[in-house]
Amino acid sequence: MALLELKGVTKVYQQGKIEVPALRGIDLTVEAGEFTTLFGPSGSGKTTLLNLVGCLDKPTGGTILFDGQDLAALSKKELAMIRREHIGFIFQSYNLIPVLTAYENVEFAIRLVNKHSDREIKDKVMGILAAVGLEGLENRRPNELSGGQKQRVAIARALVKEPKLVLADEPSANLDSKTSEEVLAVMAKMNRELGTTFIFSTHDPLVMDYARRLLEIRDGVITLDRRRDEAIVSH
Amino acid sequence: MFLTKLALKNLIRHRNRTLITACIIAAAVFLYLIFDSLIAGMTDMSYDTLIDYETGHLQIVHRDYWAEEEKLPLEDLLSLEELATLSQVDGEVARSPELAFPARLSNGMNELPVVGKGIIPDEFLRIFPLEDKFVAGSMFALGEYKAVMGKRLADLLDLQVGDFITLLVRDKNETFNTIEAEIGGLIHTINANVNQNVVYVPLDIAGHALAVPEKVSKVIIKLEDKNGAPRIAREIEARLPAKIGAYPWNELEAITFAGAKNAGIMVMTTILLVIAAIAIVNTVILAALERMGEIGMMKAMGLQEKELIYLFVTESVGIGILGGLAGVLLGLIGVALLVRIGIDWSAQTGVDMSSFGIPVLGTMYGSWNPLAFLRIFCFSLIVSFFASIPPAYWAAAKDPIEAIEYR
Ligand SMILES: Nc1ncnc2c1ncn2[C@@H]1O[C@H](COP(=O)(O)OP(=O)(O)OP(=O)(O)O)[C@@H](O)[C@H]1O
Ligand SMILES: [Mg+2]
Repeated sequence: MALLELKGVTKVYQQGKIEVPALRGIDLTVEAGEFTTLFGPSGSGKTTLLNLVGCLDKPTGGTILFDGQDLAALSKKELAMIRREHIGFIFQSYNLIPVLTAYENVEFAIRLVNKHSDREIKDKVMGILAAVGLEGLENRRPNELSGGQKQRVAIARALVKEPKLVLADEPSANLDSKTSEEVLAVMAKMNRELGTTFIFSTHDPLVMDYARRLLEIRDGVITLDRRRDEAIVSH
Repeated sequence: MFLTKLALKNLIRHRNRTLITACIIAAAVFLYLIFDSLIAGMTDMSYDTLIDYETGHLQIVHRDYWAEEEKLPLEDLLSLEELATLSQVDGEVARSPELAFPARLSNGMNELPVVGKGIIPDEFLRIFPLEDKFVAGSMFALGEYKAVMGKRLADLLDLQVGDFITLLVRDKNETFNTIEAEIGGLIHTINANVNQNVVYVPLDIAGHALAVPEKVSKVIIKLEDKNGAPRIAREIEARLPAKIGAYPWNELEAITFAGAKNAGIMVMTTILLVIAAIAIVNTVILAALERMGEIGMMKAMGLQEKELIYLFVTESVGIGILGGLAGVLLGLIGVALLVRIGIDWSAQTGVDMSSFGIPVLGTMYGSWNPLAFLRIFCFSLIVSFFASIPPAYWAAAKDPIEAIEYR
């Protein structure tokens, strides 16, 4: 069973009296473990699509199956529970909680899942922080971290609960090219090691080199869907 | 647990806002406590004024007389002979019999309605400290055709020490009679009733004129400790015939400021409620606007609305605790000063407040009321709790996407 199955998904935003069609019929299947890049010009619908599969928003038409479950049938609370357990988000603006340390920001996400003992939580948080290269910086607050380090904390936060799906909306937009390569390498490594499914959106051609599946979206429709056995940049 | 920790960290992180809001609540709590203390102080003082000049700590009265007391009847009196058998009770300092009667005071030209009181001067003075309240003349002795009254009452009828007055009375048989007396002394106390409405005459003379010799309306008792009054009253009643009652001071009708107190507390409480609530609502809204991105992220992470509400409400209650404690502490200091040092109104205004029936001569003191501290502290918590719910709800209901994109 595919992790994600979209059939004829449309999204129309209502802006006052004007209807803005953002997605015009998306058919898409994403298998578990894929590492997918979504690219396309500004306003093409990338963020809209990620929000829909991330259970943050509901489509205007069509169906979305997450792990075989029809999202349309779920209440706000149930959607929140899916996000809590199965989906990790990485945004371009990091959105770390400023009063919490790097460790605590990551801890927050796994505490919400509420499945682990304190011991396990500590091991998992320390492990994931080390994996994203933040060893020794656990007790820093976000304002004491660089942009790249903050985005690593955000990645660790998204990954610590070992979600089925990680959605990253332009994760490298605020980073210089060297840092964004590093961050992408971390995500690729996590994909390889944990089998986590990644979908990220970007404008950046460099980012696309990391992906094994490329999706191009234009004016709310998918215009290209290409898989390759190996990413251009080997992980 | 994690959310509680996060709430506390937010409070510390946004220290200035936390402190400002807490200060507003503290100020409201402080004002309330000062106000409550002053009102309670005035009530205490009005009781003291009554106890010191009119009622004593305890009164022994015929039960039927007690029911009709405002008419000052000459029925249901106590006989001095009978009372002599009541030996001194534990904690008793002094006792003084009194025969009260309605009268019209005349200077020969004008008349005023007054309350006449027949007293035994020596015993009377042991209960009511009037010696140093004489502005002219002095107390009479038994058997003398002399009277003592308030300076203010005397002024109303243009009377001075040495002048002669007539008290028009009706005796026990409803026959008109008069008591002719020379003014022996004029007093000025902080009790407006004593200053304006009462004429004291020797008990034997009053009893004779009213045709009730050797009878009194009541016996007033002074105790070592006024708080012992209810207990001692019960002891005395046990030793007296059933028709005679012993009434402690707290059952007497004082010029309590209870009305003013309740109204004042309502006003203060409302003001506190509004001030604290506005401060809290404002703080939660500011915090939410400032943390929109965070709120969006937390919702994206799957935090439920009720958890977000919990977060904001916990922060508010934290501020409420802080402000409440600070206000209570300040209140402790303020009330301690009011109790010890007081406010000297006459020095401030040059007005003798007792002429308005407010029993204040010189300094006005506050009173301790531990319940008020407890009440207002709980109240500040309740307000910070409830006031934070609507804005917290508003913040928690934000759409996660909009919140994340909010700039
Ligand atoms: N909340 C909204 N209300 C109205 N229109 C919206 C809203 N969000 C997005 N749109 C519109 O929907 C279309 C798709 O927007 P979307 O944000 O998904 O594009 P995007 O591919 O993520 O663009 P970018 O690369 O600039 O982030 C755009 O035309 C946009 O103006
Ligand atoms: Mg976008």
